[in-house]
Amino acid sequence: MAGTVLDYATLSCGLPGMRTRIEKRHSECVSESQKEFYTGCLLALDVLKNSMQILAENAENPDLKSDLLHLQKNPPATFAQAIQLFWLYAIHSGTWNYGRLDCALGPFLLEDLRSGIITESTALDYICDLWKLMHDYTNQYNNRVIIGGIGRSNVEAADVFALLAIKATRRLRLNQPQLSLRVYPELNQTLWNEAIEAIAEGCTFPILYNDMVNLPAVARAYGIPETEAAQYTPYGCGEYVLGHLSQGTPNGVINLLKALEVALHEGKDVSANRMLLELPAISDLTTFEKLWESYSKVVDYYVSALAEQEALCYKVTDAECPLLFISMLTNDCLEKGMGAFGGGSRYLGGTIETYGNTNTADALYAINELVFVRQTCTLDSLVKALDANFDGEHKTLRNELLLLPKYGNDHHGADEMASRVHNHVCLLAKSKAAHVGLSSYLVVVINNWANTLLGRYTLASADGRMAGEPMANGNNPSPGADRSGVTAFLNSLAKLDPSIHAGAVQNMKFSREWFGKDRPKFEALLKTYFLRGGAQAMITVVSRADLESALLEPAKWAHLLVRVGGFSIRFIDLPEDAQREVLARTLN
Amino acid sequence: MSATGIVFDIQRASLHDGPGIRTTVFLKGCPLRCAWCHNPESQRFRPEKGISGKTYGVRMSVESVMDQVLADKDYYDLSNGGMTLSGGEPTAQFAFCKELLAAAKAEGIHTCLDTCGHLQTEKLAELLPLVDLFHYDFKASDSNTHKRFTGVDNELILNNLAFLRSSGVRIILRCPQIHEVNQTAAYQTCLAEFRADDSIEAVETLPYHATGLSKYGDLGRVAPAFAAWKEVAAMPR
Repeated sequence: MAGTVLDYATLSCGLPGMRTRIEKRHSECVSESQKEFYTGCLLALDVLKNSMQILAENAENPDLKSDLLHLQKNPPATFAQAIQLFWLYAIHSGTWNYGRLDCALGPFLLEDLRSGIITESTALDYICDLWKLMHDYTNQYNNRVIIGGIGRSNVEAADVFALLAIKATRRLRLNQPQLSLRVYPELNQTLWNEAIEAIAEGCTFPILYNDMVNLPAVARAYGIPETEAAQYTPYGCGEYVLGHLSQGTPNGVINLLKALEVALHEGKDVSANRMLLELPAISDLTTFEKLWESYSKVVDYYVSALAEQEALCYKVTDAECPLLFISMLTNDCLEKGMGAFGGGSRYLGGTIETYGNTNTADALYAINELVFVRQTCTLDSLVKALDANFDGEHKTLRNELLLLPKYGNDHHGADEMASRVHNHVCLLAKSKAAHVGLSSYLVVVINNWANTLLGRYTLASADGRMAGEPMANGNNPSPGADRSGVTAFLNSLAKLDPSIHAGAVQNMKFSREWFGKDRPKFEALLKTYFLRGGAQAMITVVSRADLESALLEPAKWAHLLVRVGGFSIRFIDLPEDAQREVLARTLN
Repeated sequence: MSATGIVFDIQRASLHDGPGIRTTVFLKGCPLRCAWCHNPESQRFRPEKGISGKTYGVRMSVESVMDQVLADKDYYDLSNGGMTLSGGEPTAQFAFCKELLAAAKAEGIHTCLDTCGHLQTEKLAELLPLVDLFHYDFKASDSNTHKRFTGVDNELILNNLAFLRSSGVRIILRCPQIHEVNQTAAYQTCLAEFRADDSIEAVETLPYHATGLSKYGDLGRVAPAFAAWKEVAAMPR
């Protein structure tokens, strides 16, 4: 389960504490279904206890053995035991996004350090070991650990863990866990410095989130108070879930550029040779707004279907699988005696991944400019050029299209179109929640590498992109289209409203030049971007020469990490078209 | 009515043109013809079209330049950056240059002027209150050498430098290091003196690179015969 983050604050009461809580509810409840639910939870705890027994019997390490035996009957008393219990909950529940581990584990760590049970160096070893477990639990699109941020009860203890967490990431240089730091004005300076060091070294972590923008944005998008929004937790490739208050998985996926393609072909998916819905002929699209209307119809049709599918998926999940570990570690489920997907979770929301947003916006801008404003070509001839993949006589038109302003350059017109596309699909998805009975249904502009994958099946587009080429990544400009400097690029990113979606990823590639004596400039750049409304930053620090060398001699570049979209990966493990897409992105 | 001028590039988030994060506005046209010039497209005072179809230079108003400069003001504020005028030789389009500097100052934006120093001293004096930091070129100490490689002698330039030093403005001396031109004992002595002098904040030596060489072709011009090109071409990358 990706879109689930458990309540690890319950670690402190341990297995026996959890059992007592459930037994009490079990003895007091009246309804049969509640009784069944609690009985199931107690059985699940028996399974966990048995696992501890088996693991203890097989443990070669005597400390591990005694920790496991201890945890069967007691709450965790040490940092090591807390890690142990956390990890057992995680794997038994089948979840792989862990939320605010600094809050869950920080107090145990601080207590052990103060009492001298462990040294900082041992603690760092423990965290490194945990990171390796997560890495082996391999899921590069998930495995998120969150540190920092507003809404932590024991900030001092949490920061001690957070600092060692970044150090562990720096030491191991793995692509998992996806360590994510929530930044806010009072963030501990040492933590910030350590984070920038890690980024400068090319770890691609921590991923940065800006609480000053995200708290109010999440509150508005989900329609919840800011106190609850403070538990927003990025998971997976960058979607948010409200930590232990909501569920949100799996996602629907829509390719907006394909929607535009279908609108330009009277409702037909040309590459699949399939009529999807009835739309006006090209000759009837006599104004830009008529084209927009056709495009909207396609998007609306699929977003509606995906929202229904999400709700149905939850219904079936509840009926088939009560997910007891997840339920007992999600707020309100035990109180209500209901499973997480059957009314137990406070919020049951869904998300829809949109791809091709930027290409769609740039294409619409180009069509409006050439066909309707300048009237230098007809819509019909433009579509013919797209169908011909700009071959032969259509080459000049492609050059013209490429020269038009593009999103990512702080250009008013191009960015306004990007906002229009963004607002349209975000508000449309949001409006579907009530229809299908979800607490929220929100767009996420993230990226596994569907930009590359879906691009393969998408015809040439009016932004000048050739058929089959990758689409832009997340909220980013098309690779290489941002040519006006990194400030212009960041200004464009910050224009897209974050308060109507559930997460967007903003990838940026910097050269090492920014991290020598110019590091203060980098920090000022990032802080200004955050002050301007930037919600998030995923930063790869790399040189072009490194990437090119890695393409030629992969064996020598196994250590080179890049951020692709919502995940990091060893560059050499990417398929070649995705490698070339990363290479083509602007290096600032 | 405000001035217009020919701009051949505006670079935002520029790292190497002064303190902090800066927007560098490159004005087209230069009274010098340095043999090693790495921006030959900046030399002539009018827009040009390259053989590739690329346009070099566009006429812009002060307002349209300032629109772009102002778009990043908050980055300057947080990084102690600002606007840099470069070229070409920015003072060669004097009215435009002066209005741009004044417009930036009026917005509270830090200004830096990259200049070769080849302009009338009275005009330079007019700019003093509008410039927070001078990047001042020092290319050759010997006047004949200067004339041979840049097309003008260095008398006016050195006089203007003396004038600036006596005016108490902030000066960073920018010195391209080119073997054939200035790697002489006399030049190095001058650099040492400037380094020791309080009126000059810093002496920056700039490694020489040959990026200009490839641009001559597109401009339909022949690169000046110049030994350093070969030196650079032979350098390991």
